[in-house]
Amino acid sequence: MRRAFALALAVIALSGCAPRAQSSTVFAMDTVMELTAYGPRQAVDGAVSLIHEAEDRLSVTAEDSDIARVNGSGGGEVDGDTASLLKRALELCKLTDGALDITVYPLVRAWGFTTGAYRVPGEEEIGSLLEKVDYSAVTLEGNTVTLPEGALLDLGAVAKGWVSDRIAAGFREAGVRSGLINLGGNVMALGKKPDGSDWSVGIRDPFSEGLLGAVSVRDSAVVTSGGYQRYFEENGVRYCHIIDPRTGRPADSGLASVTVVGAEGVLCDGLSTAVYVMGLEAASQLWRENSGFELVLVTDGGEVLVTEGLEDVFKPMDVYKDGEIRVIRRD
Amino acid sequence: MWIIIILIILLISLAAAAFLWLRPATGERAEIWVDGELVRSVDLSKIQEPERFTVETDRGVNVILAEPGRIRVESADCPDKVCVDAGWLSDSAAPIVCLPHRLVIRLSGDASLDTEVG
Amino acid sequence: MGVRRLARDAVLTAVALTVFVVELQIPELVPIPGVKLGLANIVTLVTLFTLGPWDALAVLMARILLGALFAGNVMALLYSLTGGLLAFAVMTLMRKILTNRQIWVASVFAAMAHNVGQIGAAILVAGTPELLVYLPVLLVSGIVTGLFTGLAGQYAAGWLGKNLRKTDGK
Repeated sequence: MRRAFALALAVIALSGCAPRAQSSTVFAMDTVMELTAYGPRQAVDGAVSLIHEAEDRLSVTAEDSDIARVNGSGGGEVDGDTASLLKRALELCKLTDGALDITVYPLVRAWGFTTGAYRVPGEEEIGSLLEKVDYSAVTLEGNTVTLPEGALLDLGAVAKGWVSDRIAAGFREAGVRSGLINLGGNVMALGKKPDGSDWSVGIRDPFSEGLLGAVSVRDSAVVTSGGYQRYFEENGVRYCHIIDPRTGRPADSGLASVTVVGAEGVLCDGLSTAVYVMGLEAASQLWRENSGFELVLVTDGGEVLVTEGLEDVFKPMDVYKDGEIRVIRRD
Repeated sequence: MWIIIILIILLISLAAAAFLWLRPATGERAEIWVDGELVRSVDLSKIQEPERFTVETDRGVNVILAEPGRIRVESADCPDKVCVDAGWLSDSAAPIVCLPHRLVIRLSGDASLDTEVG
Repeated sequence: MGVRRLARDAVLTAVALTVFVVELQIPELVPIPGVKLGLANIVTLVTLFTLGPWDALAVLMARILLGALFAGNVMALLYSLTGGLLAFAVMTLMRKILTNRQIWVASVFAAMAHNVGQIGAAILVAGTPELLVYLPVLLVSGIVTGLFTGLAGQYAAGWLGKNLRKTDGK
């Protein structure tokens, strides 16, 4: 009896030690965000305020954000955080040879993706706007940004990934060893699940409401980009929201969906857009020449390809369950 | 004549209702949708302790309580409280609906996933 | 609209609103959105079968608009408007082929139409096709509540019909 009592006490004490799940749902950056941390409540609350701060600084539409100020006056001093994101973003533009370009905003706006007033701009309009798209003309010295005449910055393609990195860092500092951050499709899995297994992140099928498959990850970001996420149709032609900075038109590279898996959220976020723009060949090349990320690609024809590093952790589901998965290797 | 027509509609509806409501649920995962958008999914088979969270929109707040194998709206500031009165959602295919807040909780999907991208 | 007609419709609207507000106080019997007795429909029914569609429409619209204000739930206005008008259309069409002893039939179909309209509007507005699951249940509840309000309306129309016409001065 006594032993049973002691045992019961021990069980109660132990279960009390296991950190409880703290979670929050936030509506910010035009999307729904879900945060879960196995640890102190403050960690989640801190992350929520971090999200709102980042939104206030980085929003291209809010009037007094860092980005809006720089865009309004062709440059100026920005917050240290904004500067460090901008620095990383410019590196990613260079890495992808301009397939990611943070100055493509004038074209995104011309196609109506910022307001929802969609339209197909004319040849001439696209041509003249393209002249203003060039990330390499943006200079950053310390915290001071200088834009060439008429250029506009938009960090939308990297902001959520960067915020997920910041939240993960904040979670770690607060002693959280296990957590899951989903910023509207930008996932960051922190550590392993409390039961010691890997996090299972589902990837949506670009052609239906079902699933393409799932990747099992730990300490890793998972970000998906695809034209199916937002688009409009005119005269039977579908125009997607990802604009190719080199043509000024919606990307049409033969890929339907791109998922990037890697430790750094901002890298995965930026690359998911860039790879979608690049297409299969250039993406495979980029992957072979660099490390730090892995890819799941779906072509417009419905073919599924994964890079070597995901071969064992990617599980196809639903209609892809019995289909062929091609593996891209380093040779 | 009218009585017969009405009786036929009644029988068909009863049969359809029985089929829809007694149909077993398709999954252990509860999905919470707001305005046609999936805002959260909870794997009910993996919950060990009751988990409480709020879904807040500009229309109002629903406090949702998830327990092992079941989920419900515990409280809400909507005018009709239909979602709260609906009680636990565990094995019925009929979803919990909070129409004023445009919130739907339903069971479905693959229980093994922790979250989704795309 | 003559003063007499205006006053008569206003009284009917007041009756409908009173019934509507009283029904609001009755707790929900079933936790399904849209299931309710719809007692106020008795007034619409009586008005339609004794005074005709225009008076009934006026009373119905006034009741729905004012009722939404009383209930403090303007969001639901769209749903009850869609349901109410669809039900009204069904009742008006059926009036031609029904005798005074079959008023309850119009009520049953009107209640079903009301629920179909309401759920249709909710599916479109809220983007929640899941609500379709409730359709069979709402049809069953429509038949039951429509029968109840229909019989009540039929008896009321029988008693009130002559008196209402008398005040018309025709």
